[in-house]
Amino acid sequence: MLTQQIINGLMLGAIYMLVAVAFTLAIGVLNFLNFSLPGLFMVGGMATYGFIRIGWPWFFAIGGALFLAALVSLLVERLAYRRGEGAEADVPLVSSLGFLVLLENLMLVQYGSDQQAFPALLPDMNLRVGGLVIGIAQIISLAISVILVAWLSWFLKRTNAGRRIRTVAENRETAQLLGVNIRRLVPQLFVASALLAAVGGVLFAVNYQQVSPWMGEGPGFKGVAAMIIGGMGSIWGSVIGGLLIGFAEVLSITFIGADVVNITVYGLLLLILIVRPQGLLGKPPAREKL
Amino acid sequence: MALLEVSDLSVQYGRVTALEKVSLTVRDGEIVTVLGANGAGKSTLLKAILGAVPARGGGVTFDGADITARPTHERIARGLSLAPEGRRILISLSIEENLLLGAHMRRDAAAVHREMDAIYARFPNLAERRHMLASCLSGGEQQMLAIGRAMMAKPRLLLLDEPSLGLSPLFVQKLFELIRELNAGGLAILLVEQNTGKALGVAHHATVLELGRVVMAGEPAALAADPRLREAYLGDGG
Ligand SMILES: Nc1ncnc2c1ncn2[C@@H]1O[C@H](COP(=O)(O)OP(=O)(O)O)[C@@H](O)[C@H]1O
Ligand SMILES: [Mg+2]
Repeated sequence: MLTQQIINGLMLGAIYMLVAVAFTLAIGVLNFLNFSLPGLFMVGGMATYGFIRIGWPWFFAIGGALFLAALVSLLVERLAYRRGEGAEADVPLVSSLGFLVLLENLMLVQYGSDQQAFPALLPDMNLRVGGLVIGIAQIISLAISVILVAWLSWFLKRTNAGRRIRTVAENRETAQLLGVNIRRLVPQLFVASALLAAVGGVLFAVNYQQVSPWMGEGPGFKGVAAMIIGGMGSIWGSVIGGLLIGFAEVLSITFIGADVVNITVYGLLLLILIVRPQGLLGKPPAREKL
Repeated sequence: MALLEVSDLSVQYGRVTALEKVSLTVRDGEIVTVLGANGAGKSTLLKAILGAVPARGGGVTFDGADITARPTHERIARGLSLAPEGRRILISLSIEENLLLGAHMRRDAAAVHREMDAIYARFPNLAERRHMLASCLSGGEQQMLAIGRAMMAKPRLLLLDEPSLGLSPLFVQKLFELIRELNAGGLAILLVEQNTGKALGVAHHATVLELGRVVMAGEPAALAADPRLREAYLGDGG
């Protein structure tokens, strides 16, 4: 029973982890709390649903949704981030929040405000290990999330492009003097973080088989909480934070009741903020990021 | 042959004129030094040569090509490379990652690693700690790392911005030996310094900036003997 819940928590945590990593990439490198990311999470789920509804095969539908999320993210970069450069730090933040509201309402106009049933893409097969029931969708989601984040971490550590990104994260002016093409790098980062969030949205839809225009808000804010718990700008911090929140949520639903989920999750956040304000893996003085 | 040709270059920051019609030439295999007090525009000159600040007027030609409108990364790919003022070591990266960062646009991985090994051979201090964060280095070691990083771009012209600043006399000694050695290997160097005496000692040609303008230029020996320069800059550095 407990092991079963841990597996469920791991799955949910993996989705929060993707959102948290998306946020941490934006804040760690660009110093930008990008509130359009919950909207892009939702676009991942809702657009996949929409494309399937008009008859696209599911893999095209997912590809189309990810493509759409990337395009929207480029718009956010142009209209919210780039325009806000040089302005007060909260100008781009507020504009990105505007994008979240805009995306939600566009979906509302298109599909209505109700929860929509998302078709089962994967055979309803379960793996039985001992007394445990593990859904195929769960395993695939977990594998995709872990592979994506592990690959991202490797990429940042081991490639020239990764070192360029970490240089921009530490000092933009130095990056420029070393010939990092920031004009090209920034949109690429926006696409990368959009894809992480949108993949999270697709996995959420596939696992819970329902979508709505508001589906990004819960995971979005829990993703932010996970990022803060783990330590802003740290990828592995976001991984730990995401999994912690996933467990906390599933365990408190099971043992206390669904009403207390938010109390547990945000209580955990508050506790971390009091005990260790820089987050579990955050290192404030050294400014080490990613 | 002229490797770098700066002609009538002007740069402004808002309303502040930092460079006013500055001209300067660096030939193949030459060390040219740019001297001047704080705020004279020396760093601005290097940044403008690298394309990190825009030119208001005038032009920069490198290896026969007009690069005035080219972006920084393209200039680096053509063979310019800067060890910036204050070293600008990335402290969240390891020593080795800082070096690799210097070669971030190069695709010849085998040659990059050979050159990294050559840098390690020259600076055993860096080699020993290659996987540690660069923040563990002393000021002098950080300067060596900054120059090593600039060398990793495989430059034809190395731009050095006040490399001796804040170094102990021993490291200053080592630094100028290194500059001589690199130059003996055929590398052209544009050296910005406040250590006027040492800089004039290694340079083939010198230019003095004052408030963004060239006020003197010529042979180091002639400049060293010039009473105006002696008065202004050689008081301590001689
Ligand atoms: N980013 C900047 N914004 C505004 N003014 C600047 C900037 N950088 C340099 N300056 C000004 O330009 C002038 C030349 O500066 P700089 O090139 O750094 O001189 P140096 O390297 O010779 O000390 C100085 O008056 C300085 O205050
Ligand atoms: Mg300077």
